[in-house]
Amino acid sequence: MERIFDILKKPAVYYSLLIAVLAVVGGAAWAVYETQIPPEQPIDFPHNIHVGLQIQCLYCHPGAWKQASAGLPTQDKCWACHQQLTKYWDPENPVPLNQWPPELQKLAAYVENDEPIPWVPVAIVPDHVHFKHRPHIAAGVACQDCHGDMSSVTVAENPQLMNMGWCITCHQQKTVDDPVKREKLISCETCHY
Amino acid sequence: MSENISRRDFIKLAGVTAATAAVLTGCGPASRYVVREPYTKMPEYTYNGQSTYYATTCRECAAGCGLVVRTMQGRALKVEGNKYNPTNLGKTCARGQAALQGLYNPDRIQNPVNQKGEEMDWDTAIGVVAETLGKYQPDEIAFLTGLAPDHLFDLFGEVAKTFGAPAPLRYGALGMFEARATLGEAARALFGQPNNLFFDLAGAEVTFSFGANFLETWVSPVAYTRGFAKMRQGTPGKRGYLVHFEPRLSQTAIKADEWFAIKPGSEGLLALALGKLTAEHQGKVIAAYEGVDVEAAAEAAGLEISTLERLARIFGNSRHALAIPGGAPLAQSNGLDSAKAILSLNALAGNLGQPGGVFLTPAAPVNDGYHRPATVRELALLVEKMASGQIKALFVHGVNPVFEIPAALGFSAALDKVETVISFASFPDETAVRADYIFPDHTGLESWGYQRLASGAKESTLSGAQPVVAPFYNTRATADVILAAAERIGKPLPYKDEVAFIQSKIESLVTTEGGFHAAPEINTFWAQFQQFGGWWTNDEKLGSPTSAVLDRPLAVRPAEYQGNGEYHLFTYVSPILGEAGANKPWLQEVPDPTTTVMWNTWVEINPKTAETLGLHDDDVVRIVSPFGAVEVSVYLYPAIRPDVIAMPFGQGHAAYGRYAEGRGVNPADLFGGAVNDAGDLAYAGLKVKIEKTGQKKQLSRLESRIGVYGYEEH
Amino acid sequence: MAKNHNIPEYKAEWKAGEEGKWGMAIDMDICTGCNACVAACAMENNIPFVGEEDAGYGRGMHWIRIERLWEGKYPEVKTEFQPVMCQQCGSAPCEPVCPVFASVHSQAEKLNVQVYNRCVGTRYCANNCPYVVRTFNWRDYDRPEPLNNQLNPDVTVRQRGVMEKCTFCVQRIHKAQDQAKSEGREVFDGEVQPACAQACPADAIVFGRIDDPESRVSKLAKQGRGYKLLEDLNTLPQVTYLKGGSHVRNG
Repeated sequence: MERIFDILKKPAVYYSLLIAVLAVVGGAAWAVYETQIPPEQPIDFPHNIHVGLQIQCLYCHPGAWKQASAGLPTQDKCWACHQQLTKYWDPENPVPLNQWPPELQKLAAYVENDEPIPWVPVAIVPDHVHFKHRPHIAAGVACQDCHGDMSSVTVAENPQLMNMGWCITCHQQKTVDDPVKREKLISCETCHY
Repeated sequence: MSENISRRDFIKLAGVTAATAAVLTGCGPASRYVVREPYTKMPEYTYNGQSTYYATTCRECAAGCGLVVRTMQGRALKVEGNKYNPTNLGKTCARGQAALQGLYNPDRIQNPVNQKGEEMDWDTAIGVVAETLGKYQPDEIAFLTGLAPDHLFDLFGEVAKTFGAPAPLRYGALGMFEARATLGEAARALFGQPNNLFFDLAGAEVTFSFGANFLETWVSPVAYTRGFAKMRQGTPGKRGYLVHFEPRLSQTAIKADEWFAIKPGSEGLLALALGKLTAEHQGKVIAAYEGVDVEAAAEAAGLEISTLERLARIFGNSRHALAIPGGAPLAQSNGLDSAKAILSLNALAGNLGQPGGVFLTPAAPVNDGYHRPATVRELALLVEKMASGQIKALFVHGVNPVFEIPAALGFSAALDKVETVISFASFPDETAVRADYIFPDHTGLESWGYQRLASGAKESTLSGAQPVVAPFYNTRATADVILAAAERIGKPLPYKDEVAFIQSKIESLVTTEGGFHAAPEINTFWAQFQQFGGWWTNDEKLGSPTSAVLDRPLAVRPAEYQGNGEYHLFTYVSPILGEAGANKPWLQEVPDPTTTVMWNTWVEINPKTAETLGLHDDDVVRIVSPFGAVEVSVYLYPAIRPDVIAMPFGQGHAAYGRYAEGRGVNPADLFGGAVNDAGDLAYAGLKVKIEKTGQKKQLSRLESRIGVYGYEEH
Repeated sequence: MAKNHNIPEYKAEWKAGEEGKWGMAIDMDICTGCNACVAACAMENNIPFVGEEDAGYGRGMHWIRIERLWEGKYPEVKTEFQPVMCQQCGSAPCEPVCPVFASVHSQAEKLNVQVYNRCVGTRYCANNCPYVVRTFNWRDYDRPEPLNNQLNPDVTVRQRGVMEKCTFCVQRIHKAQDQAKSEGREVFDGEVQPACAQACPADAIVFGRIDDPESRVSKLAKQGRGYKLLEDLNTLPQVTYLKGGSHVRNG
C-alpha cells in the first residue's frame, strides 16, 4: 500500500493522473453539452414567426393532446397553409419560385418531389423512458412549461436538460396535496418498462 | 368507390421512409390499391405513435383463423386474434403469433429470380409465365398448391379450366399427417357426402379420442382447444370426461382423464370391440358389431378385456358420448375401415347431429364444395407423369413439395424431369431453390385473399385477408402475375386483378341475409369484409348427418406394417413448428410442449427400451427403415409404449433460410409409399430399426434449465 | 419440491392497504400446454431468441414457460402443464437483494418491477427467485434485418448485462389506464389483457384486479381449486393456479 502512495507522489504520475481525470470529466461535460445543441434541421423552421401569427402549438403537433407522441408536421400540413399565402400566390402577381425565401423553396422542393421532410426531433428522452404527452396536457401543463417560449426561437431547442431529476421535481411539486397521485407519478414503472 | 375506400385504408399502409416509397412506386397492378405516397400526406386520423389495427386471416396453417394485426407507421408489430371470427374468437396459437417472423424473415426472396439467382423485373417474369402457359399443351401443365390460401386455389382452378389443363392439386403435409382424405372418404361412405366433419367437443360428456391429437395440431387446433376448454370448465358443476388412445403421451393424452398407449393400427379393432361391448351393455343387438372378436381386439390393442368393459360402460352410460378418429390411426393400411369403425360409435351413441356429437362442417359461403387435399395416390400419379416427361411445366404455390412429400414418392427426382418449374414461394425452400424461376408472392400478411374453414366453426364462414402492411420487397401477388400472363397470351380471365377476382367471388354474399354484416352494394360490403376480416352467418349452419352404418356388419382387418424392424415409428407433426414454421426463429426457440426440446429433432424412446438397448439421453442413433435412414439424438420419453419410438415432423430442411437449414432431421425420409384404401399414405404403419452410432449430440431443452427443483427422475 | 422443515411455521399476510392490485388466475384444468402464451409474450415484449447453443445452456429469455413435471412410471405416468411467469410477489425475494434498487416494488401498481436503466447485472435477484422466472441478457442478441421491424415501441429493448422478467404487460396496463382516464372512467374488468392471456386459445389465463371482489379473476381465484405456487415460502404471489381435474389413468 505504502508503495502505491509513493508512486502517486511522483509528479509525472500525479500530473498524468490529473490530466486523465480532467479528460474524463471534460469529455463527459462535453458530451452533455453536445446533447444540448439543437440538431441541424432540414429546414430552418422559424418557430417565432409561426407562434407570432397566433398558430396554436397543437395545430402542427396535434398528437400532444391525444397521444404519447406530439408528432412532427408532415409536408401536406405545411403546404396546406403555404400554398394559400397571397404573398406568393396572388393570382394577379405570383412570385416565381426562385424568388421565394430559401427555406420556403426547400419546402416547395419536398412537396414537388413528394418526399417526407426529415425533421429531427429535438425534445427527446432515452429509449428506456416512455413519455406520454396526453396526460401532461390533460393535467393542464402548458407546452411552454417544458419546451420554453417558442416565440423567441427559430429552430426548436431545448430550454433545459430533460433528465429524470427534472421530471421528478415537477411531479413532486405538483402532487404535494395528493399522496396517491404522487405515488403513481414517482413510481418507476410509470415511465420505465 | 372501391378505389376511394382502398385509398383511405391503404394510405395508412404506406411507410414513412423513402425506402418504402421506392418499393411502392416500383409496383405495378399488384399495388393498384396501395397508394404510392409515404407519409407526406398523413391521414387525419393517424398520429405518430398510434397503432392501427387491421383484420386479416392467418396463413400459418389452413384452419383460417381470423387475425387482427397491430401496425404502427406502416410496420406490423403484433398479431392478435380477431374476436369476431367464429373460428378462433380472438385467440391464436403459437404459430399464428409468430407469423410476423415470416413477414420480416431475413431470408425472404426479395425479387423475381431465375435459377442462377439473377434478378429480373416483373414484366419479364410475367413474360416467362405467359410463355410457359402458352408453349405447352394443356395436359402438360400442372398446378400444385398448398391448403392455403383458398382464393388462389379457386383462381388456379379457373385458369386450369380456361387452358384446359388438369385441375390444380392441393397438398400440405398437415393434410397428409391428418389423413384428411381418409376422413372425407369415410364421411362419404357413412353419411353420403365427403366432409371434414365437425366434432362438438364442447357439448360432449364423454369423449373417446382415437389418436385425434386435437390439442396439438389437428384440423383446427385453436377451435378444438376452445371446445376442449368448454367441455372441461364450460358448464358449472360438470366436467367432461376425455379418454385418449395413442401410443405416446401427447398433449391431448396429457389432458385426458385416461390415456391408453395402444398399439398403432389397432384403433379400429378397438373401436369395434368397444361398440360391441357398449351395445351389449345397453342391451341392444347391433348388426355392425356382430362378428367382432372382442378378445382379439383387446389383444391387438394391448388392453385387458375388463378395461374395455369398463370403458364401454362409461361410453354407454353417457347421454352425450363422442368418438373422434384422429390422423395416425387413419394413416394405416386399415385406416379407412378404422375411420368407419370409430365413426360408427357416434351412430351407436345416437349423437349424429346432436349436441356434443358429430356434424357436417358447414358449407363455405364461396365455392362451397369440399376441396379436400390430394391423396398420396393422386400425388403419385402426378409424380409418375412428371418422371415420364409428360408434365412439362409445374407451377408451385403455398407448398414445399420436395420437403413435404415423403421422399419415397420420388418427387424430388421427378422434378428434374420437368422442363419448366415455376415457384411462387416467399422463402428459398427446397422446392424453390430447385425451380427454374422463383416469382415470389407476398407473404400472408401482405396479401389479399380468403380462406374457407377446414372445420371448427359452427357458422358458414369465409375468413377474409387483406394486406396489413405494404409489400416489404419487390414481390407480387401470384394471382396478379397469373392474370397478367393469361391476358398476355390472349386467354384473359374476366378479372382485372386479384382484388377484382375476390370481389367477384364474394359478390353473391352482399345480398345474402343472415350474415354478420350486410351492405346495399359491393363497395360498402368490401369495406366491411376487410374491417371484420371476412363474412359469416349469424346462425349455425352445421349439417346433421344420418347413417345406416349400424345396419351392416363392420370389419377392420389387422394393420399391415411396412419394414421389419422391432419398433413402430410414430411420427407426429411438431405442434409448434407445424409443417412450415422451421424458418421462424422464435418458433424454433419455443420449447416443444412435451419434451421441451428447442431448435432440433429428437427421437422419443421409452426409458425401459433404452435401457435394454444401452441408450442414454442425447445418444445419437440411426433410425433405419427399408426406405431411408436418419441420425437423431435420443430423448428418453417416460410416456411412450416400449415398442414404439416417436419423432416430430417439421425440421430437417436442406434449405428454407438460415434458421431452418441443416437443423434436425425429417422423419418423413423413412416413410414408404404404401397407401390405405382411401389413397392416403399409410405412414403410421412403419416398423424401424434402431442402430447405435456411438456419438452424442446434446439437445437444447428447457427442462435442463429448470431442473434445479422439482426434477426428480425421468 | 420437498418442504423445508427448517423454515419456521409462519403464514404471510398482506398488511392492510397493501394488498395486490393486478393478478392472474391460471386454470390448469384447461391449459393444454400449447405454448401460444410463450410465443405471444416473446412477440409483445421484444424478447430476443438466443439460438440452440445458448438455449442449451439455459440462457433462453422466455418470460413465461410451460412447466411439465413427470409423476410415476410408465404406464402409470402422468404430467401436467403449468405456465409459470413472474408471480409479482407481494413479498418478493428478488427485491431485498438488489444492491442498486433495480428490482423494486411499485407502490402504484403493486407490481414487482425491474428497472432496466438501474440494473448493473449482479444477477442476485435471479439467484434468489424461487420461481426461476428472471432471465439475463448474456449477450446483445442479434435480430438480423429486417426482423427488428417487429420491435414493439412500447417496450424497452434491453441490452447485454440487464436482467429482465415478466411485467404483467405493464405497457398494456398503462395504455388502458390512459385510455380510461381520457374518457373519464375507470378501467373495466377485462380491458387489460397481457399478451399471454389474450392469445390463450383455451382462455386458461385470466387477468384483472384482484382487489376488486367482483372481477373475473377474483371470482376464479376464490374457487376451491385455487392455490399459489410454493405458497410456504411466504412470497405472497399474485398468480393463483386452479388445480386440474382428476387424473385417473389406466385404472
